[in-house]
Amino acid sequence: MYAESQYPIRSALRESHESVWRRIAETGSYWSGVDRVAMVHEARASLSCRLCQSRAKALSPNAVSGSHDAASNLPPLAVDLIHRIRTDPGRYTKTVFDRFCKEYSTGQYVEIVSVVATSVIVDTMHSSLGLPPPELGPPDPTHPRKNEPALVEEGGAWLPLAQQDQKRSDLGFRRVPNILRAMGSVPSAVSLFFTCFRNHYSMMGVSLNLLESQCEFIAARVSALNQCFY
Amino acid sequence: MLRVSSQNEGFNANLKAVTSENEDSGVLHSNLLRKLTESTILRRWDELDDLRKEAIDKLGVQATIDALSVASGFNGITRVADATGIPIDPYEDELGSYMRSGIGVNAFHYSEKSARYG
Repeated sequence: MYAESQYPIRSALRESHESVWRRIAETGSYWSGVDRVAMVHEARASLSCRLCQSRAKALSPNAVSGSHDAASNLPPLAVDLIHRIRTDPGRYTKTVFDRFCKEYSTGQYVEIVSVVATSVIVDTMHSSLGLPPPELGPPDPTHPRKNEPALVEEGGAWLPLAQQDQKRSDLGFRRVPNILRAMGSVPSAVSLFFTCFRNHYSMMGVSLNLLESQCEFIAARVSALNQCFY
Repeated sequence: MLRVSSQNEGFNANLKAVTSENEDSGVLHSNLLRKLTESTILRRWDELDDLRKEAIDKLGVQATIDALSVASGFNGITRVADATGIPIDPYEDELGSYMRSGIGVNAFHYSEKSARYG
């Protein structure tokens, strides 16, 4: 990965992206490797989806109905939440979560969020360097166990959070931030996402050629653009 | 975090600059970083080609790639927050009330989005 980059890519970042890319093609706890690779393709397809484009122009995305331009055989509810996460995260609501979790488990939900959010990081990094999105390896067709032990507790989110005392905060806070606990009901989903993310943020112990304030300004600006108030 | 990091560096960042391009944040090269970030997140790739060259001239190549890396990472993690409805952390109430007041999201909860968008 990044072999064609004309710019220097830190080895830890490249290795972590290669690692998560391999892991996405493997069968997870709740979805097969085939499904997980399909999630990445679906996230990419959402960027040219006509329904998503119509929703983007509407006052509320839920005011526009129709079918997505799907790129996979994933269930329609999964396609809908993947497209919404990728194209309109700022107007993503609990209604979407509730609709999905009426028919599927929260484990299935969390694993989709992790795979899609991880792919957003890898794809955004490639595009920002002028590189095409990377291909995924051959997907594992093995069926998932649909089960993964986790220590969770209620924490005011839509779904249970990892227990507060489960691990020490890597960020030097007095408590583990909720963002690290958010996908705690599926520890492998936490591992996948943060294996990727941690090399993108100086607060996670990564040395960058930027001042801390510059990193935080970029982070805050991205949050504002994506209407993420957390 | 922006407020704390700027204070650690000996100044107070103007947090209004996060949401207003008419404000100066006080952060070194923040106008260029803002443009780089916006082009990356809004997928304006042609514009980004030129900005990347400008940034390499002014910041250096590694700092430019690191800036793109931070933007890419937060483009992913904001989606985790938005898709799980996590509440603001207790210590964020202490650290961030000033910032959220400054940018107008002081009383935010994810249920507000459900009320607004369904």
